[in-house]
Amino acid sequence: MLEHYQKNGFFLQEVNPTLKLFSVLIVIFFMVPVFDPWTPLLMLIITLTLIIFLGGISPGFLFKILIPFSFFAFSFIWINVVFPSDRGDTVLFFIGSMPVALENVLTGLSLGLRSLLFISWSLLFVLTTEPTKLMLSLIQHCKLPPRFGYGMMAAYRFLPLFRQELEQIRAAHRIRGLGEPRGIKDKIRESKMVIIPLMAGAIRKAERVAIAMESKGFDGSRERTYYHAVPWTKKDMFFGIFLFILYAGLTAIRVRFVI
Amino acid sequence: MKNSKSLNLREIVVISSISIVFGVLYLLWIFFGQLIEGIFGPVARGLISGFWIMAPIVCAYIIRKPGVALVGELIAAGTEILVGSVSAGAVLILGFTQGLGAELALALLLYRSYKLPALMLAGVFGTFANFVTIYFMYGYSQYSSVITGLMLIAMLISGAVLAGWGSKKLADALCRTGVLDNFALGKIYREQRVNEDELSQHS
Repeated sequence: MLEHYQKNGFFLQEVNPTLKLFSVLIVIFFMVPVFDPWTPLLMLIITLTLIIFLGGISPGFLFKILIPFSFFAFSFIWINVVFPSDRGDTVLFFIGSMPVALENVLTGLSLGLRSLLFISWSLLFVLTTEPTKLMLSLIQHCKLPPRFGYGMMAAYRFLPLFRQELEQIRAAHRIRGLGEPRGIKDKIRESKMVIIPLMAGAIRKAERVAIAMESKGFDGSRERTYYHAVPWTKKDMFFGIFLFILYAGLTAIRVRFVI
Repeated sequence: MKNSKSLNLREIVVISSISIVFGVLYLLWIFFGQLIEGIFGPVARGLISGFWIMAPIVCAYIIRKPGVALVGELIAAGTEILVGSVSAGAVLILGFTQGLGAELALALLLYRSYKLPALMLAGVFGTFANFVTIYFMYGYSQYSSVITGLMLIAMLISGAVLAGWGSKKLADALCRTGVLDNFALGKIYREQRVNEDELSQHS
């Protein structure tokens, strides 16, 4: 599913991964001084629109991911109502003897929306970026040493093997008569018995791959050629201009209405 | 190449593959953590936050070179994004600050000590850095100082126990399997074994 979206060739998929990653960081820094609910709400709507229309992600799939995280977002509201740094004056109603103030609900809402915004902007990145392209872009544009980039990509390739290995370890446990895990206590005990062999296997594989890479002449130097070059295109320019207009506009609105 | 201070490819791939395993576990842990935070609030989440500092401490404890904790945590963050983490931006910033925290603790000890107290200190520094980062990132300044204080304490305890003690346990268990024989930790273990053998022969 993920791979299908990462490759489907919409606008966002073609934007340079480095620029997209940078935009994820900007949004976090931009939101730090914001405590009103309107700015994150507006941003959240813009972000979701971008993901759906420029990333070609189906809305159903997107909301299925976001729903569990709205739990997390909700926690910001109740914590702000119960334990605020200073209680607001506009009391809406009482829960028991505890006043619920409008100001605190709004701040909580703002922080909750902020966390949802971070998650949706990260989804914008993750759902539209191929891992390999990201690594190549970081090596080619961000001066990430190839030793690290290719090392990480090699390890990333182990991921599907882990599932297979997990099955093997479980089967080995069963054949030695450890039985199926029942209940939470058994599950925890089982995960303890699985993690060490899994990691040991991972380390063993990593060593072999590294030796193989070196024996085929990979020396980690910068003077190398690339089979896939990740280019800068006009789309990156458009995306950059869009980001600039978005943040300039938001800052202008905030200066006018909030402060 | 053998004793150089910089990381060689073998160590990088091993760090990455350890981080990949952690990256997947972190993904599950994020859901678990967010569920806990949603129901019990940030203090309860603080208690499990030390888990996020395990990757750099395990790597630093195994490889024992300057910079491993920071690089290890950055690689863990990077792999988490490759795996498809839902909080890519936060993960990247947190990865950097947490790694820096753990690294700072080991640097203060001049990279000489990798005993349990040193690892616990690294865990505490790591979770402290985590606290400072999320304090600004998620606007915790809006909460009463009682709850942020409690949260900080919970996180520091978690850093010492989960990240410090837990990482050491995990790495030692890995070492006993023999896969780490080519790394600093494995060599120390082997020396110990040789010494013990000599002692038993003499007595």
